[in-house]
Amino acid sequence: MQIIRTIAQIGILTIYYYLGVVIVNLTGIFIPASIVGLILLWLSLYFKLIKVQYIQDGATFFLAFLTLFFIPSTIGVVDHPELLSKAGLYLILAVIVSTLFTIALTGKWSQWIEKKEAAAKDGEQ
Amino acid sequence: MQAILAIFSTVGLFLIYQRLYAKWSKPYMLPILTTAITLVAVLLIFKIPYSTYMEGGQWIHKMLGPAVVALAYPLYNQRKLVFQYKYSILSSLLVAMLSGLVSVFLLLKGFKASHAFLLTALPKSLTTPIAMQVSETIGGIVPLSALLVMIAGFTGALLGPIIFKLAKIDTAISRGVSLGSASHGVGVSKLTEYGEKDISIGSLAMGLSAVLGAFICPLFALVFL
Repeated sequence: MQIIRTIAQIGILTIYYYLGVVIVNLTGIFIPASIVGLILLWLSLYFKLIKVQYIQDGATFFLAFLTLFFIPSTIGVVDHPELLSKAGLYLILAVIVSTLFTIALTGKWSQWIEKKEAAAKDGEQ
Repeated sequence: MQAILAIFSTVGLFLIYQRLYAKWSKPYMLPILTTAITLVAVLLIFKIPYSTYMEGGQWIHKMLGPAVVALAYPLYNQRKLVFQYKYSILSSLLVAMLSGLVSVFLLLKGFKASHAFLLTALPKSLTTPIAMQVSETIGGIVPLSALLVMIAGFTGALLGPIIFKLAKIDTAISRGVSLGSASHGVGVSKLTEYGEKDISIGSLAMGLSAVLGAFICPLFALVFL
């Protein structure tokens, strides 16, 4: 029973994905179809168009195996030896430096806003 | 026959490595990494072309779209947290998104990187499934994008705590939001060492910045590239 329910719910999630595909094809927007499907599903849950129980098991299944689904494309690196060139090393270096910079700036910013918010709340009381 | 072999070896290896990871939760033991490295080694050693592997691999890849849709479920469950910290979380996500995009863009321009490499690097701070779909949408090299996402993840997991110390970043929200939006899942896994709230904020930041990035990355590419 559990298996049948999970499969049926995977079906519902797949329908949302294809709704996303249809919308992207009709409008020609540059957002991935899966993101359009994600937003549609979130809105459907939020406005109670569907119950969370209708997708819960299917979603839990997908999330447990999420990383499995992107392994095939990742293996595509075998067709891209240019990563081991000088340009490839610069690419990796840029990503590392940019990530460190982003963590520092975002952390500082978030802490500053948080303290401002806390101070504003203290002021009210 | 080859197609079936590709599917079974991918799923089989993944399940084995997932079990190993449950016992031994180190970032370099992540099933995506160990499974991919093993399969790449097999393809290279036995000189199997990638297109042959993909005859089966494409069937697993086809599940990626619906699996990304499933991310709506945790985002729906965490809706209370979003409303509670809406200003600090949402403004920080915007800061993270823009600083990540602008800094990697300027660095690569400085290194005189090719157009294709620029497009490939833009989605690097998004969680892998979404980064791959964004990379495909804007015309990047999808497998390289996936690899760069992992590098961004490991950078955050390994060096994030050092940055926290140097920059005196010491609240759950700021730690969660910065690692979640710059280093996605791998970065968030490091937050287990800080606490429950760090993880919730971190995974929320990861999910929201992926949705935000799916809009902003293509827009950035459209305007600047």
